[in-house]
Amino acid sequence: MFYFRGCGRWVAASFTKQQFPLARLSSDSAAPRTPHFDVIVIGGGHAGTEAATAAARCGSRTLLLTHRVDTIGQMSCNPSFGGIGKGHLMREVDALDGLCSRICDQSGVHYKVLNRRKGPAVWGLRAQIDRKLYKQNMQKEILNTPLLTVQEGAVEDLILTEPEPEHTGKCRVSGVVLVDGSTVYAESVILTTGTFLRGMIVIGLEMHPAGRLGDHPSIGLAQTLEKLGFVVGRLKTGTPPRIAKDSINFSILNKQTPDNPSVPFSFTNETVWIKPEDQLPCYLTHTNPRVDEIVLKNLHLNSHVKETTRGPRYCPSIESKVLRFPNRLHQVWLEPEGMDSDLIYPQGLSVTLPAELQEKMITCIRGLEKAKVIQPDRVLLLLPRMECNGAILAHHNLSLPGYGVQYDYLDPRQITPSLETHLVQRLFFAGQINGTTGYEEAAAQGVIAGINASLRVSRKPPFVVSRTEGYIGVLIDDLTTLGTSEPYRMFTSRVEFRLSLRPDNADIRLTLRGYKDAGCVSQQRYERACWMKSSLEEGISVLKFIEFSSSKWKNLIPEVSISTSRSLPVRALDVLKYEEVDMDSLAKAVPEPLKKYTKCRELAERLKIEATYESVLFHQLQEIKGVQQDEALQLPKDIDYLTIRDVSLSHEVREKLHFSRPQTIGAASRIPGVTPAAIINLLRFVKTTQQRQAAMNESPKTDQCLRDADRLQERQL
Amino acid sequence: MWRGLWTLAAQAARGPRRLCTRRSSGAPAPGSGATIFALSSGQGRCGIAVIRTSGPSSGHALRILTAARDLPPARHASLRLLSDPRSGEPLDRALVLWFPGPRSFTGEDCVEFHVHGGPAVVSGVLQALGSVPGLRPAEAGEFTRRAFANGKLNLTEVEGLADLIHAETEAQRRQALRQLDGELGHLCCGWAETLTKALAHVEAYIDFGEDDNLEEGVLEQADVEVRALEVALGAHLQDARRGQRLRSGAHVVVTGPPNAGKSSLGEGAGPSRKPVSIVSPEPGTTRDVLETPVDLAGFPVLLSDTAGLREGVGPVEQEGVRRARDRLEQADLILAMLDASDLASPSSCNFLATVVASVGAQSPSDSSQRLLLVLNKSDLLSRKGPGPRPDLPPHLLLSCLTGEGLDGLLEALRKELAAVCGDPSTGSPLLTRARHQHHLQGCLDALSHYKQSKDLALAAEALRVARGHLTQLTGGGGTEEILDIIFRDFCVGK
Repeated sequence: MFYFRGCGRWVAASFTKQQFPLARLSSDSAAPRTPHFDVIVIGGGHAGTEAATAAARCGSRTLLLTHRVDTIGQMSCNPSFGGIGKGHLMREVDALDGLCSRICDQSGVHYKVLNRRKGPAVWGLRAQIDRKLYKQNMQKEILNTPLLTVQEGAVEDLILTEPEPEHTGKCRVSGVVLVDGSTVYAESVILTTGTFLRGMIVIGLEMHPAGRLGDHPSIGLAQTLEKLGFVVGRLKTGTPPRIAKDSINFSILNKQTPDNPSVPFSFTNETVWIKPEDQLPCYLTHTNPRVDEIVLKNLHLNSHVKETTRGPRYCPSIESKVLRFPNRLHQVWLEPEGMDSDLIYPQGLSVTLPAELQEKMITCIRGLEKAKVIQPDRVLLLLPRMECNGAILAHHNLSLPGYGVQYDYLDPRQITPSLETHLVQRLFFAGQINGTTGYEEAAAQGVIAGINASLRVSRKPPFVVSRTEGYIGVLIDDLTTLGTSEPYRMFTSRVEFRLSLRPDNADIRLTLRGYKDAGCVSQQRYERACWMKSSLEEGISVLKFIEFSSSKWKNLIPEVSISTSRSLPVRALDVLKYEEVDMDSLAKAVPEPLKKYTKCRELAERLKIEATYESVLFHQLQEIKGVQQDEALQLPKDIDYLTIRDVSLSHEVREKLHFSRPQTIGAASRIPGVTPAAIINLLRFVKTTQQRQAAMNESPKTDQCLRDADRLQERQL
Repeated sequence: MWRGLWTLAAQAARGPRRLCTRRSSGAPAPGSGATIFALSSGQGRCGIAVIRTSGPSSGHALRILTAARDLPPARHASLRLLSDPRSGEPLDRALVLWFPGPRSFTGEDCVEFHVHGGPAVVSGVLQALGSVPGLRPAEAGEFTRRAFANGKLNLTEVEGLADLIHAETEAQRRQALRQLDGELGHLCCGWAETLTKALAHVEAYIDFGEDDNLEEGVLEQADVEVRALEVALGAHLQDARRGQRLRSGAHVVVTGPPNAGKSSLGEGAGPSRKPVSIVSPEPGTTRDVLETPVDLAGFPVLLSDTAGLREGVGPVEQEGVRRARDRLEQADLILAMLDASDLASPSSCNFLATVVASVGAQSPSDSSQRLLLVLNKSDLLSRKGPGPRPDLPPHLLLSCLTGEGLDGLLEALRKELAAVCGDPSTGSPLLTRARHQHHLQGCLDALSHYKQSKDLALAAEALRVARGHLTQLTGGGGTEEILDIIFRDFCVGK
């Protein structure tokens, strides 16, 4: 094996000359007592923790490498989890037995479901989370996960070896080199380094590297990835300053109280750890024209806002809000950071002005007139997961209130829906490195990467969630087929089958598959999901079976606004669709056989939701079938779009397919610019290949793959 | 709130519910794909036109149109009276064939209606099919694609499939362009824009309404817009039944540099003979492209006489030239006319280089657009001596003045038109009409569900469905478009 440390050029050259230094590789790998794992996860943030535990749940001996164990589970930005769309992702992570939902149920300080009045398909489970508790609970969970080893260490480089002939990719990752020069080998490696690749912190006109000083390992890793040919882009994000709780005048602000009862995130929990009355409130205040004035007057002192690094179309910072929507009052939510924290997080005040101006701006705001922006040593606890920032801050003697971060991300069109890279076999990317923003988006990718890294080791087919199956599928399909030019955030409007992919039914959609296809779900959870699924099906068929005239229904349930003019019999399921009817009132009217479905509250609520969407879901199911048909048509993984002659494709289409490497006809058809005619040509190619493969059956293709690798390499150079 | 909600979907699911539970064969199997229909014989004057359906609701559609309880015997031609399921009005006595899957062209349940070839009958049957729940007009190449997906085509047969789909897509695109060029197109685009904005605002309210501050009244504004749209669509559909202004027939465009004699040809081509008869002297439309429906060599043709193509003239003529170019893009057949005695002039050379060469350069499979090069004023030529330039592409000589060469031209036209009209891939205006009606009606139905839904997710879904129908006619329709509007109109995000 050879190390890929600062010698990308040498490796590239050896690839092109088709002379693998095989002798050297084998002698190197004979080194004694090098640790060996199935899966290595680099990074202990939201993607990393989910990836490491998912791989371990799947039965892989897993190593989690992080700069500092005590930063595992750090909530680097907002002190909250969930929200609209994000809550959906958390439910899906939970359905695959992921951690974040369960940890949130143990660590929240204010639980509230958003969109309550807008229909259960778009309910947004959300909670303010105690940072300290979350971290504690997460670390406890991580350190007690069987098969999972945690090690402190900074990764300097990847160890790369010759590719497996039966897969595409120009080489294969087989381990990592740490800063101290030691090596760890593994069958799969997952990179979840967040904003850590060439991260820069920006406050006012000051910019500071957020990686490490001295040896620059993060830069080394970034260079390696670049030399391998990964296309890198740059994004920016930001975080608000924190305010001392006792310096805020809450008495004049709008108070928001938590839900009663609290809705837990996890399917396995019936309630959360804390009673509603013990939870903390949030407060709402607004910006005013004086805030606008300070922002506008000082734009020249604000390089983060001026620079061209692409920020999102939405408004991430107070500066962009003021610039794009002037003369308006903007909301600022004052959110607790934890039970015993004396900090408040002002959601909506993300800002990169110089420090002294930030305080000036904040004290213009109602309720914050005497607000104190907290001191640097406190801020260190809150930094994004660039674990070494302490060193930099000390070095620069920085004070760090609100700030912006600019960082590299890898164009996600370079990874497959299983999150493995096209270029390097067994190397997986998850989280912010793929251009997403948000804990939940990161966690969702982490679970998928962990599962697939593990499946790859055991040579099982990848676990891919389709966009017809979950928000996770939409997230990953959008990223891998369309890429992103702004930090990608989940919205329910991105989801075509929104009425089918609801927070309430994530277990039916994913738990059963996760158990059977991935092995990442515990027996207990699986059995519960099976019970729920069969109970729902039984309940729905019973509700369809019960039919009375509308006047009889009116007699039985007087509050229902049913029209009695219709002579056709009405099913109980149709009665349940009325807003004013729930399973309890139905069961009171028709105790036999409905009463038993009200015993489990969750079941009763879910039956009501199923009834609400029943008629539309049929329609949607048809469309889903159509999409799934296209997704069942796999494109060969080793197809070289640029040179293949059997398929007639325009040059433009070839380039697009080459870059995104869609895995199915369905994914190919979603790439902008791929024409219907091109799709048919691809279809034909798929069928021809299938026939040929059936005829030939497993003939060795090693040479072919090596040649492919050469071609790839040549193109990069 | 639930009364009549989602009737369309519900009907597709359950039919008239009572009936459905007892339905035997041909019932739409729950969960399977949509059923598609199309005119699969060519347009134009013909004795018999064939309309095909494919998909799980085929049998259902057949029984509804024939008002019969049972399906005819499989793979046997049966004579049936077809009638409109909405009005009960008889449409035609037709031969129908029932092909239960998988032993059919596409591998799915298929029905063939062999109807009398008049446009009124064909149009009536297409619209009747469009009104059956679960049925929709086929997309380009969709029949063949389904056949392919179900393993009904061998690989050599598929060779031409991409070409066919490309040609069909092109033909539909041209057909759509013609429609969008007109009043109807402007209407559709306007509606789609309104609807997209309304949907974006509802989506914003769902995704950001609680976390960020949207202005007051976002939903109310969307409601108002949707209601106005409903009224407009409803009025249009009422009106459309009295005769949609769709121009039918193969589009033949006469073009060339100024003064080549284009108009002489359009005016009847030849002093005494009457193979070209003007069917109705409708004075075109407001544009200065003169448009005349004619019966040319037995084919229905919409003949457009365009402004001479040249650059650098006054703004009014420039506009005419621009329209002429637009029209060229929409043509099925281009009659390119040059002055045989004036081939060396800059305008002629330019015309040859741009228009003639560019259409000629396309391989026949690339585009179904055809071109006939005609050199007029051959009477002047013969007197002056040698023939025209030797490097010209294949062409015909004609003298509008003496009528010489007219027979040859008509014969060539007949051949070309037979090819254009006999090819089912030529976007049939009848199918286009059925498509328009189907999608506009679908849009209107969905909008009524919006009004009825209290659950905002359901209401938004209704708008999504409605918008999906409109963007089938106007193009576009992605999620990004919605997000663009949301982020443009609202200050959201953190």
